Amino acid sequence: MPTFKLDGRSIPFEAGDTIIKAAWRHGIEIPHYCWHPGLSAPANCRMCLVEILPNPGQRPITLDVLAWNDASHEYTTTQKPKLQPACRTAVTEGLDVLSDSSEHVRKARRDVQEFLLLNHPVDCPICDQSGECKLQDYWLEHGQFKKRMRDEPVHKPKAVEFGETIVYDGERCVMCTRCVRFMAEVAKDPVLDMRERGNLNEIVVAPGRRLDGHYTFMTEHVCPVGALTTKDFRFKARVWFLRSASVVCQGCATGCNAYLDYDPRHNKAYRHRPRDNARVNDFWMCDEGMLTYKEAHEGRVLGARLRGVEIPVAQALDQVRALFGGVSSSAVAIVLSAEHSLEDNWALHELGTKLLGTEGVFFAARPEGYEDDILIHRDKNSNTRGVRSVAPEAKPVGELVGHVESGRVTHVISLGSTALVVRDILARATWLSLAAHEGVLPELATVVIPVTSWAEHSGTYVNSRGLRQVSDKALEPQGESKAAWKVIGSVAAALGHDASWRSLRAVRSELLGIDEGGATRPPSSSAIDEGGATRPPSSSPEGVPL
Amino acid sequence: MESLDRELEQGELELPADPVHLNMGPSHPAMHGTVRIVLELSGEIVTKADVQIGYLHRGFEKMCERGTWAQVFPYVDRLNYVSPMLNNVGYALAVEKLCGLVVPERCQWYRMALGELARIADHLTCTGAMAMELGATTPYLWFIKAREMIWDILEEETGARLTHSFGRIGGMASPPSPDFAALCGAALPRILETVEEGEKLLLRNRIFLDRLQGVGVISGADAVSLGWTGPCLRATGVAYDIRKAHPYLKYDEVDFDVPVGHAGDTLDRFLVRLGEIRQSKRIIEQSLLRMPTEGPVNCDDPRMVLPEKGEVYTTIEATIRHFKLIMEGSKVPMGEVYSYTEAGNGELGFYLVSDGTGTPYRVRVRPPCFQVVGGLSRLIEGRLLSDIVPTFGSLNMIGGECDH
Amino acid sequence: MSRIALDKLRERFGPLVLETHSEFGDDTAVVEPGIWRDVCLFLRDDPDLDFNLPIDLCGVDYPISEAAARRRTLPGRMEVVLHLYSIGRRHRVRLKTRVGDEAMEGAELDSLTSIWPGLDWLEREVFDMSGVRFRGHPDLRRILMYPEFEGHPLQRTYPAAKTQPLVPYRTEASAGMPVDKLEPFGAHEGMPFGRQPAPRPEKED
Repeated sequence: MPTFKLDGRSIPFEAGDTIIKAAWRHGIEIPHYCWHPGLSAPANCRMCLVEILPNPGQRPITLDVLAWNDASHEYTTTQKPKLQPACRTAVTEGLDVLSDSSEHVRKARRDVQEFLLLNHPVDCPICDQSGECKLQDYWLEHGQFKKRMRDEPVHKPKAVEFGETIVYDGERCVMCTRCVRFMAEVAKDPVLDMRERGNLNEIVVAPGRRLDGHYTFMTEHVCPVGALTTKDFRFKARVWFLRSASVVCQGCATGCNAYLDYDPRHNKAYRHRPRDNARVNDFWMCDEGMLTYKEAHEGRVLGARLRGVEIPVAQALDQVRALFGGVSSSAVAIVLSAEHSLEDNWALHELGTKLLGTEGVFFAARPEGYEDDILIHRDKNSNTRGVRSVAPEAKPVGELVGHVESGRVTHVISLGSTALVVRDILARATWLSLAAHEGVLPELATVVIPVTSWAEHSGTYVNSRGLRQVSDKALEPQGESKAAWKVIGSVAAALGHDASWRSLRAVRSELLGIDEGGATRPPSSSAIDEGGATRPPSSSPEGVPL
Repeated sequence: MESLDRELEQGELELPADPVHLNMGPSHPAMHGTVRIVLELSGEIVTKADVQIGYLHRGFEKMCERGTWAQVFPYVDRLNYVSPMLNNVGYALAVEKLCGLVVPERCQWYRMALGELARIADHLTCTGAMAMELGATTPYLWFIKAREMIWDILEEETGARLTHSFGRIGGMASPPSPDFAALCGAALPRILETVEEGEKLLLRNRIFLDRLQGVGVISGADAVSLGWTGPCLRATGVAYDIRKAHPYLKYDEVDFDVPVGHAGDTLDRFLVRLGEIRQSKRIIEQSLLRMPTEGPVNCDDPRMVLPEKGEVYTTIEATIRHFKLIMEGSKVPMGEVYSYTEAGNGELGFYLVSDGTGTPYRVRVRPPCFQVVGGLSRLIEGRLLSDIVPTFGSLNMIGGECDH
Repeated sequence: MSRIALDKLRERFGPLVLETHSEFGDDTAVVEPGIWRDVCLFLRDDPDLDFNLPIDLCGVDYPISEAAARRRTLPGRMEVVLHLYSIGRRHRVRLKTRVGDEAMEGAELDSLTSIWPGLDWLEREVFDMSGVRFRGHPDLRRILMYPEFEGHPLQRTYPAAKTQPLVPYRTEASAGMPVDKLEPFGAHEGMPFGRQPAPRPEKED
């Protein structure tokens, strides 16, 4: 592995890396605003300047500068090395780079930071970026200066609506052009651009257009300061009260990795943020996916119901025993759900096929929708392939209609809330719905028992490419809901069977033996270790801010 | 009616010989700050004593791990709550040792003066309470009146009589008020007068002396092996005072003596404290003379000290600094340090472990009276029940500090 | 502090002294738990060292789940820290050792009460707060917490918001009115600020 030296440490690099990228891979941060590992590097912020020592035998590139000489009370000419932007300098073998250890670099960072804060509004108390703002972090680490300017700062438009989702604040903007480059390079819709010159710069939307499309939230995500904010999250919560859980987006089969930020004091989810995963979503998420965090709270089924009337869960289980007890195995069918995790589906599959002995295995899914070639998949279910791997024999729920109409199937246990199914067949069968959200299935089922949504239990989901990903638990279960695999265990007990799974670990150890091809192999994307925590993929180190 | 007398043979009457178990406290007028002593008595003599503390345990060390370094100051106030300024100064010095900060000279003199005022308040309370528990209520009230003068000064300086939370990492919360020197100058002679009046009432009183002299005796070597420090140790003749042995702040630049006893009994502990009041007065007077009347009180390290409020409202840099220091805490370098000062009861130590973030990893307070009260059972076993009160009073156990 | 103490310890006990450092001017030695008592006897009895004043004994918890576990260059979870002072020689030393595995099995040390009686209550406090047992202690029981208390509060894994009422909280039935019994503060409440990594998913049972 070729290496180069950064502050005396040997750092390996890959061919084509710039200094900042090689350092980032290694977990070392060179301060930056405009660079982003997923975008081009314009080198306009000048925060990543580093000192590159000349090769042996070469003269260093220096600049003549005027420095104040205290002794002689005049400006004298001295030389200082020309610093290079680490985001545009390619790494070569044996390169010797000084970052924190160079006095010139430290002074440059301090000065760049001072310029950036020159006209910055005193908005910290009302700015949403407070607590995750690079200006704040770098001032403390690299600056710690006081304001020297006595003039009125330049004023620019504040709270400009760019579109349905994004609001722009010109005064906070540091003109890094990350948003401009994101829209041009990743979203393939170059609708943002910069206007004017010098300290009158601002970002504008192309005339006649709004900032729309499916990736507008990402402009807020890449913005290192509080210039771009989402209308959805603006003024809702302060980030230091939020804890982050590593989840998998439930919007479609791409299975983008995300952070769900929630306030543990109120058990409320506030937003998604994308999580890096080079194998799935790189650094991005689409708008619809970003907004799926609302599903943790909206339209939830939180209490058990019998024919539409709220009853305690214990009573619901009694009803299940009364209604399902003694039914022959051929009259029972189970409906798995592509919206639910592998653990939930596996438990229902075990209950149905092993304990109840039925052969009627079906699966339900959300209808297909919009797709594009960036991230969005037409399959709006997060675990379609997962259901197929748990139950390869499962047939689409549409085929259940015939069985129910003919009377062959009289009792159904289903997971999930959406199904493209004729509504009145639900009325003809005795239907137990284990659902997290309102939908066709819990609305018309005989008995409904609430289960947790994806945010409230740790679950594994298989995306469209067959990658198995674990979504960690974020919120505490709301209302009466419990994890579906747990509820299925209770249902099994109510029906007089002994569920072989008592803990998440037991479910997972069974699951690890299952795979699309039927072979036993460890899960591919993230290891499920003792506590069920996910380990981050190796290509993007945790903790290095973007 | 039948006679109630019982006809007994000689030798048949046996007096009960089981020891009596007596429970003192935790709610007891003489049990300073809730302590329970379970006694086994044979007549009036204590054969066994089990001193049980912990009634004022509030989880100080655990709470420190939940906030920032600066948020510990209100907690340390409530350790030795009779001399809170000494706790503040001790903790501030500990964090500054870890950060490598040295406060400006004006702050050092200021801390010394305030600390010694707190020490006087502590000793006044202890000696006054000792006298009151033996029945002499008058000197107690006089000493409390003297303590009020100190509290008035501290209220003028810090805004609070008792729990000031005045220390900060890198300085103090605000500079000395312009009247500080004048207030001290007016109050200290009157405090000394009060102390002398009290001494006149007590130190020639036969009963008082009999109750204290020769009671609760401990030798110097025993006290050292028990971990005693402070006035209780010095009363045994071991002249260990951190201000002389390992001077901090400006204690090496002031003249003062260290009162030392010789008998190690309750009377010596009482007298050592009264002597220390006089020495503290000397220190305060010298500090006020040496303290510069202008100049900064806080270090100017932007990573530790909050900015001026006027700047916070008008410049972004000061807003950011204020935000980072309050929300994330000052980032103290990784490492561990043990820092010790002479508090009212002895060596107050802070063992701090930092993981480099704004939240302490571990804050351990070494309370001086914890060790001292650990030796209490040894002092009272074999003595009379009534000796417990003056002995325990002379140890000056402060519940907040002992139980932290 | 005391350089001479570190030198003499290394000379006398060799490889059983695992680490020494003098950060911030505090001379510190980390020793194997097996020689804990021998080292202390040596420190007290050696005429050049003469550590006669036991200052403090405390426990510091370094479980693997904590970020500060990166300071863990040594095996063992609970660090027991002893501070000693010599009144005659006016020097100090800090002695540390590590005991216990992640589940705090085997967290035992020899008691030093026969060397310095003042450590009696301090060892009781370390037992009470951190869960380290001291072999040979005359009376090892809880000192700050009540006897029925379960757990050791200063272990990092003990949740700060947990309450253990000796008398159960009133129920609405017994009180005859709505009773809002809240925890003193939530497990994730407010402090310390800063975005935390996701809590480890609990063993779902």
